[in-house]
Amino acid sequence: MAEITPLATVECGQRPIREINQEIKALIAAGRTGIELAGPGARHNLGVGIVQLARIHIRGSAGYYCAGLIDGPEFEVDGSAGWGLAESMMSGKVVVHGNAGNGAAAAIRGGTVVIHGDAAARLGVSMKGGLVLVGGDCGYMAAFMGQKGTLIVCGNTGEAFADSMYETTCFVGGKVGDLGTDAVIEPLSEEDIAMLDSTLATHFSAGERARKPAPRAFQKIVAGRKLWNFDKRNWQWWREAL
Amino acid sequence: MADPILQQSGIFTPAVIDDIQTKAASGLYQIRGYGTLRQRRWATFDDLTFLPCSLTRIPLEGYREKCTTAVTLGTRYAKRPIQLDVPIMITGMSWGALSLNAKVALARGARAAGSSNTTGDGGMLMAERENSRTLIYEVLPSRYGINIHHMLMADGIELTIGQGAKPGTGGLLLGSKVSEVIARQRDLPAGVDQRSPARHPDFLGPDDMIVKVEELREATNGEVPIFVKMGASRVYDDVKLAAKAGADVIVVDGMEGGTGASPAILQEHTGIPTLAAVCEARAALEDMALYGEVQLVIAGGIRDGVDAAKAIALGADACYIGTAALIALNCNRPLHVEDYAKIGAAPYACHHCHTGLCPVGVTTQDPELMRRLPIDEAAERVSNLLHAMTLEIQMLARACGKSDVRRLEPEDMAALTTEASAICGIPLAGTRKVYGH
Repeated sequence: MAEITPLATVECGQRPIREINQEIKALIAAGRTGIELAGPGARHNLGVGIVQLARIHIRGSAGYYCAGLIDGPEFEVDGSAGWGLAESMMSGKVVVHGNAGNGAAAAIRGGTVVIHGDAAARLGVSMKGGLVLVGGDCGYMAAFMGQKGTLIVCGNTGEAFADSMYETTCFVGGKVGDLGTDAVIEPLSEEDIAMLDSTLATHFSAGERARKPAPRAFQKIVAGRKLWNFDKRNWQWWREAL
Repeated sequence: MADPILQQSGIFTPAVIDDIQTKAASGLYQIRGYGTLRQRRWATFDDLTFLPCSLTRIPLEGYREKCTTAVTLGTRYAKRPIQLDVPIMITGMSWGALSLNAKVALARGARAAGSSNTTGDGGMLMAERENSRTLIYEVLPSRYGINIHHMLMADGIELTIGQGAKPGTGGLLLGSKVSEVIARQRDLPAGVDQRSPARHPDFLGPDDMIVKVEELREATNGEVPIFVKMGASRVYDDVKLAAKAGADVIVVDGMEGGTGASPAILQEHTGIPTLAAVCEARAALEDMALYGEVQLVIAGGIRDGVDAAKAIALGADACYIGTAALIALNCNRPLHVEDYAKIGAAPYACHHCHTGLCPVGVTTQDPELMRRLPIDEAAERVSNLLHAMTLEIQMLARACGKSDVRRLEPEDMAALTTEASAICGIPLAGTRKVYGH
């Protein structure tokens, strides 16, 4: 993490999004790596495409694609975030204190996304790495086609959870609404339990953590690998899958 | 007269019998590459003919008078529109579907001709960037290899909604082509039969896409044009929605478009022909008063300068080629004939890109096969093809009295069939009637 300089404030107001993002990028280029966005007004595309180390604090809610296509910075959103939160992130950290809309952490290749509230549908879809942690529930088709990385949902999931995955590993503390095609439950290992314990301790306060299930209560879901290659013996799987 | 005892069914033809028996053995729909193999009974560019100058119009000297071919794409919003010397571009084909040598040869060939090339499903190959003059970065539903740094190195961003060979369905890359290197590039396990998604992970409908296009523009600081590419289905409405979403350039890929691997039925039975697609696309932009402001790129089975000239006359600013460029690389050439036979194909009848065993080193990840495609020679053939196609377009434009190929227009052509007349709004040759209008 870059050294934090005195906090710079970017007033969002009714300014064009281009102007807001260009001001953020100009501040970072000038070495002002601690930035707060005041009055974000749930504007779309806040903080998109930032590829430098910085800490950006959004004092309110953000719209679609907040922190999308980033590599390196850390974002904190006081409110909620719209669709496509942190999509295609390469590295960095995005923390949302409220809820997140559809497709949060879609296609991320690295970094960490923490959503303290609930996540809507298609959480972590096509994720290719990184860590996604949701304090509450998630909607349908979370982790769909997950390729790599770890997805943790402390609450309940929606339908078709972990459908058609490759190598993403999922953990669910609540009830799995419905397993997707080729998703299988696997026993937790001691390493898994240690990882869950440490991850929850890292990202949640003690009080918050106390309200989450104990690491041993989580279920682990991985790909059954039946869809990885076409095989006529599995035609009934394919009928469901395609 | 056919022997009544040995007479074959017109319904259950040998091809149909083979198809049924293959599926009965495999339990799976048939998968192959290349694009539609059907004999074309629908209206195509061949159903139009140019009307060169005679007494009513004065031609330009065919072999020498100046006829401009340069094209600018992205004039609507981009700070840095794309400037091309020729109106033929290389379409997106993935490193994975194609070999590294093929990708680099396409890049070098396009660069030498003053044209562009496009990445593909799987992200940017650095050797491709280094060898390109103008490189367009595709953002596909799979987001394989998505990398903001690569986007920032691109000269254009293409948000791909679909592909002409299979609109509404993602691509396939069978396990034989998912080598260790390709798997690493795509964050996949090596050897899996990779099925790309059809839906983008972070937006669904056209209203969401407005925000997505803005995101891509923000991520690239408004510098480069944002293309939106679609397979040709409901083209009139889709083009309007893409234009409304803020696209600088709209790409419409007709049903004759190619693919590295897809279910055969999609290649044969989905989408509308390229000829129809260009007409619908132009009408949509004209109805929004955006024709000329939003540039139109047409793709799908463009074979030569004649097809491209007709597409331009109907309203395209430029054309993409894919299969034609691969044929320039050596696809279907009678070399290594024994290796065609090994995969059940033959020169001129090979559509086995999906196997990864391309005898001429174009659609393979096998290092031995890839060596059969020396980059320099292949790049020169691509460059030559782009030059030759451009000369063909100029030839037709000069004959029609146009000093800029973009001044070709529907009025420069006549329809040879009533269908083409109805689709293109062009009088049928020998009449003054536009059929169906």
